[in-house]
Order: sequence, then structure tokens, then C-alpha cells
Amino acid sequence: MLVGLDARPIHVEADIGRGEVAFMLVGLAATTVKEARERVRSAIRNSGLEFPTTRLTVNLAPAEMRKQGTALDLPMAVAIALARAGKAAPPHSAFLGELALDGSVRHVDGVLVAARGLSTLGYERVFVPAADAAEATLVDGLEVIPCASLIGVVNHLLGAEAIAPAPRGAFVCVAATDIEHDLTEVHGQEEAKRALEVAAAGGHHLLMSGPPGAGKTMLARCLPGILPPLELAEALEVAQVRSLLGDLPREGPLDWARPFRSPHHGVSMAGLIGGGSGLAQPGEISRAHHGVLFLDELAEFQTPVLQALRQPLESGRVNITRSGGSVTYPARFTLVAATNPCPCGWAGDGVRGCRCTPGAVDTYQRRLSGPLLDRIDLQVAVRRVQLELLASEARGESSATVRERVVAARRLQQERQGCLNAQLKPARLRQLAGLAPESRRALERWGAHRGITARGFHRAWRVARTSADLDGSAQIEEHHILEALGFRLQDVAA
Amino acid sequence: MSPPDLRTRGRWPPPEGPRAAIVGSRRPSPYGEAVAEQLGLELARAGVIVVSGLALGIDAAAHRGALNGGGVTVAVMGTGVDVIYPAAHGVLAEAILAAGGALVSQFPDGTAPRRHNFPARNYTMAALADVVVVVEAAEGSGALITAEAALDLHKEVMAVPGSIFSPLSVGTHSLLRDGAGLVQNARDVLAALRLGGEVLDDPLATPKNLGFKLPGERDGILSHLSDVLALNAAEVARKLQLPIAEVLGRLTALELDGAVRRHQGGYVRALRRGKERA
Repeated sequence: MLVGLDARPIHVEADIGRGEVAFMLVGLAATTVKEARERVRSAIRNSGLEFPTTRLTVNLAPAEMRKQGTALDLPMAVAIALARAGKAAPPHSAFLGELALDGSVRHVDGVLVAARGLSTLGYERVFVPAADAAEATLVDGLEVIPCASLIGVVNHLLGAEAIAPAPRGAFVCVAATDIEHDLTEVHGQEEAKRALEVAAAGGHHLLMSGPPGAGKTMLARCLPGILPPLELAEALEVAQVRSLLGDLPREGPLDWARPFRSPHHGVSMAGLIGGGSGLAQPGEISRAHHGVLFLDELAEFQTPVLQALRQPLESGRVNITRSGGSVTYPARFTLVAATNPCPCGWAGDGVRGCRCTPGAVDTYQRRLSGPLLDRIDLQVAVRRVQLELLASEARGESSATVRERVVAARRLQQERQGCLNAQLKPARLRQLAGLAPESRRALERWGAHRGITARGFHRAWRVARTSADLDGSAQIEEHHILEALGFRLQDVAA
Repeated sequence: MSPPDLRTRGRWPPPEGPRAAIVGSRRPSPYGEAVAEQLGLELARAGVIVVSGLALGIDAAAHRGALNGGGVTVAVMGTGVDVIYPAAHGVLAEAILAAGGALVSQFPDGTAPRRHNFPARNYTMAALADVVVVVEAAEGSGALITAEAALDLHKEVMAVPGSIFSPLSVGTHSLLRDGAGLVQNARDVLAALRLGGEVLDDPLATPKNLGFKLPGERDGILSHLSDVLALNAAEVARKLQLPIAEVLGRLTALELDGAVRRHQGGYVRALRRGKERA
């Protein structure tokens, strides 16, 4: 059974004793599992097997854990069939699958997660629904037996007719997946493009502010294309979350493209962070793991929902407690947020004037300030591009070119510190990211001039480190610091 | 129409002398702010009482200029005289009182800011002044209501021209087209107040005489920036054919030197003397 991304093995025992006809199911089974009695009974009968006509007891151990879900159908039926045949299940084997009344084995969610968990627990063989076999074969060193029907499994176990293990999925690491949105399609906006490059290279979060139609969404969609493709381990983590949600394509479950999630601003806490009844399901932030989470109209999101982003932004994980227990999901994403500069959206636009009162603008911008903004390293104002520029030939660098620089800068960071610059804590920053004397002076001058906060100080420092990495420079020079200080909105706290 | 009964704080009535109202946008460009401050200062030095509305932007700059010029200034408020709006102008209001000026309002004490109160306040402001000078007003700006009221009251209306590219010039330029007096410097206003000869042959005073420190031209970027319209780093980079990363850094360096300021999501040349106000 799955608890979040953890697999907990459940031992299913069946005993056929003497006594009147009964089917006892013990071991803290939830309603979904109790219903399994009827499915299991019909599936066994309709498979041409005999259902015990005396007292049957099925025990689910450990008894103190509440059992949920339909994946226990197959192991229960197998246990009963084997008990009748007087045989034991093969060692180090696990079973999961839902049964149809006719005895065929149906898809269950989270097979990849279960297979990985079982493999680390020392299991060598896993019987899974045939439909989900491709997922399970992604796990190294695990024999996967695809199960189409209950009778097939029983015949296999009794040695009557063996099922061939599923072939290990052939993965070719696709070097360059098609880039859906290329930077060459974005006219002008060099400032924002540069911010995207720095965000991609250092894993920094980014806030764009600008009027409607300035191209904020388009820019955000370009970010996955300048990030390196997922590594195998990362792709597996992304696939695990999708597997839990039953959202993994049957053919080719591994996707090398970085996820891009853009929930609407009406999204609920449970939808964004994760939640639901019983055990929490992963939310949008976990689906964006190793990818990009784009929040358009940031100021329109409910404040508590935004506040809840703080923990995952800090730790790359989210811990959710519900009645069914507490689970932890991965949520290491790059946040790209977009906002209008004011309620009407036109403040700062050269052509259309803003009609909001200064007070309303203040209130609007104050909604964005505070702890969330403190965790966003890069802020950039996006303005509408003049029409003649839009009509001109597409210019500027392609996403592939920018990605090469991003990959090189990320490699430097991995070699130096084993993580991206955005994840550096102040202590390690001091230790790893030396400032040239004039760079330190520039930072200090800025602090004296503008009353910069400690957080703001470290933000600029981290961004400067990334800027230097993009240059291949070991030292942080003054111009790196100055560029970093430029990536902030005047109207929002420095 | 005579001004309604006024609640006042500070010295009221103010000392005898001509009064000029300086009004305009609450979100001016650095140019407009510098003009308002400069006009306030020079008019105050010439003994004119500067009347304005204690609002953000042009109003505050005019009050500040008058205080810097050692003059008396009167704030006509749209709230009760005991309710400072915006709250951030508490210090400014105290300074006005300390300098022998006054806060006045036609509304009872404790009146909170209400949108519909401000047009009436604008009317009062026109009634209290001998001349109304509009500095930067977009279409539909409250400053235009003040100008209209001044016309109703047979007071002189004057306007400061701005850039034809700026939305903040629409209101002032339409006033000028309709016959408002052209303001190129404080002496134009003084002439309208019959405090000096008419100025016909005096072109714009050079920036140096205006008291502004124009940033040096060492850096090519500065010559591409305007003091009215904001350009962003991408636009500067395109003009200069420089890499965006370099332009961002150089703009920040200029900002650090106080030579450029952020304005409306871009950069403008700073036209301010001394230190940035908080």
C-alpha cells in the first residue's frame, strides 16, 4: 500500500478452516477493501476456480495500519487460491491489482511508486496489472510479471503455464525534446529574457510585473525550453507523482521534458499544495517538481494559499497532514509569478494611462509584499513591446543557444557546491561565493543608500553568483552585483 | 461664490499677499515633480503663498518647494483637518504648520477620505488662490477640476507644458490650447500676479540656473534617457547595441550614483537636488 511516495508492504494470509460458510476479512480494512470480498469471490468463481465452501479467513498484516484502495484485490484472491491448492507464494514477491468480476486484472494508480518502494525493501518480483507493467519496468533490478487475468496468475504460480516477465523498457535519453515555445518567438523583452536565463541557470524564482498583453505568459512558457532535459533520476521522480495520480501515459511513461504547471488563480489550497480526504494527494506544486510552476495574476490568489507556498519554496518538499496520516511530497520547482502593476493593469504603460488611485495601487502591491516575495530572487518589469518591433523579423537567440549557457552554468554550480545557487544558505554563500572587493563595496553602498534588508542582500548575492557562473567567472565582479541589484521592482521592497 | 466655512489648523488667515495654487498629477514624472518643486520654491522666495492639496506627487512637491524657499504654504484638504491623507504626509503637514502655514478644510473634523469630497476641495482651492498653475495632468485629472473652478471664479489659469509623448501632458496641453497662460518659469506666474513685468524674451533658464544638477555625460546611457518617459533596460540596450546584462549593471550603477531613477517599470534621468527623499 502507498503512503504518499512511501510503499508499505502488507502481508495477505488466507486460511481455510472448518466451520460454516463465511468470508472473514480482518486487519483494519477500510470500506474500499471490505468491498473487495465481493469482487474477489466473483472473480475466483468466474475464473473457473473453486471458492472455499467452509470458513475462510483473510488477514491483512500489520493489523494496526488502516488499509485502503483496490490494489489488494489481486493479492487476496491469489492468497485464497494458493491456500486451496495448499501452496505458498514464491518468496520476495509482491502482488498488486484490482479485480474485475470476470477475473481480469485492472489498472491501479501508483504502480511505479509501489515498484520502486518494493525494490528498495528487497522484493525481487512484482505482479502488476498488465496495463501498468511498463511503469514498473522503469525500476532497475525488479522482475515484472504482467497480469492480465487471475487465472493466468494462478496457473503461473502453480507451474501450469508461466507468464514471461515484461521486457525492461528501452529508454533512449532524448537529447533535445521539441521546444514548444522558443525564445526567438518573443520579440524584444531582452530584460525579461535575461531574467529567465538567470532563473534557469541558478534555479531562482522570478516575478514579472507588467500590463496585460505584455507577453508575461509567453515568456514564462519559454522557461522549460531553456532548462536542461530531466536526468533519469529526476524523470523517475516526476513520473512517480504522475503515477500516483494515475496520469502516466501507458506507452512511454517517462517524459524528459520539464513539467510546466499553470494553475488558475482560483485554485484551492488542496489543489495547489496537495490535500483531499484521508491521505493527501499531491497538488500542483508537486506536479511541477523539477519543472516550472507559473502563477499568473499572483495578486488574485487567496492569501492563505500563497502563504502555504513558503515551506515548499524553502525546503523543496511539502508535508501535508490529513485524517489518514501525514505524507511528504517532493516540490522542488522554479516559481514564475506574473502580476499586473496595479488593479487596472496599466500603470507604467506609455500609451494607456492607469486609472487607479495611488492608494489602490499601494494596497494591490502590498498584497504581494512580505514573506513570499522575500523568497523570489528575481523581479523584472515587463512592458508592452512597440508594434513595429512585433512586426519585425524574429530576432534574438534561440532557446537552444541559451540552454547551452544554462547547462554550463549549472554544471559549474554542481561541481562547486552540489546544488543550485538559489538553494545556497547565507553561511555557504559566504564560504563559496567570494566577492571581489569592489563588488562588496557596491553591495554595501546599495545597502546604505536604500536600506536593503538582510534577505535582500543575500538575494542579490545569490543572483550575482549565477550571473558570474553564466560568465564562467570564479569571482563575483562588480558588474555581476550591479546586474543582480537591477533585478528588482522599485515599488516593491528591495 | 464665496468659499464655504473653513476648519483650520495653523495660522489663519495667512499673511497678506498673493496666492498661487500649484496642482497636478498624484503620480507625476520626475520632470513634473522637479518643476513643481522649483516653482514652489521660487514663488515662495518672491513672497507668494503657495496653495496646494497635500496629495501625493505634484501637490507634495509644491509644498516642499515652498518650505525649502522659506515661504508660507497652505494645504487645502479633502478630509477633516485632523485627518492627514495620505497618512505618509504627516511629517509634511507638521512642517507646513511649523513654517507658519495652515491646513484648511471645508469638511468637519474627522471626515475620512471620500472620493466625492475631493472635487469640492478642488473648488475651494481655486477660490483661495489668485492664480492656478497646473503641472502635469492626465485626461480627467482632478487638477483640471481646479482649473475649471478657477475659470468659473474668474481667476487666472496657467499650465506648464510637458512632453507630447506623455499621457500626463494631455490635460495641461488642452488647457494651453484653450488659452491658459504658459508657464516656463516662476516669473511667468509672478507676472500673472502683477508682481513683475511680463516676460517675453526670457527663454527657459538653463538647467544650471534652475538649480538642478544634470548628471554628467560620462556615460553614454544617460544621453539616451529622458526625464519624462521611462525606458526599460531592453530599450536602452537596443539603442546602444549593448548586451542586456551589461546595460542592467550600468543602469544600476547610475541608480546608485543617484543619476537615474526607477519610474513606471523603467528608468528615467533623475532631476533632483541632493539626496533622494525617503
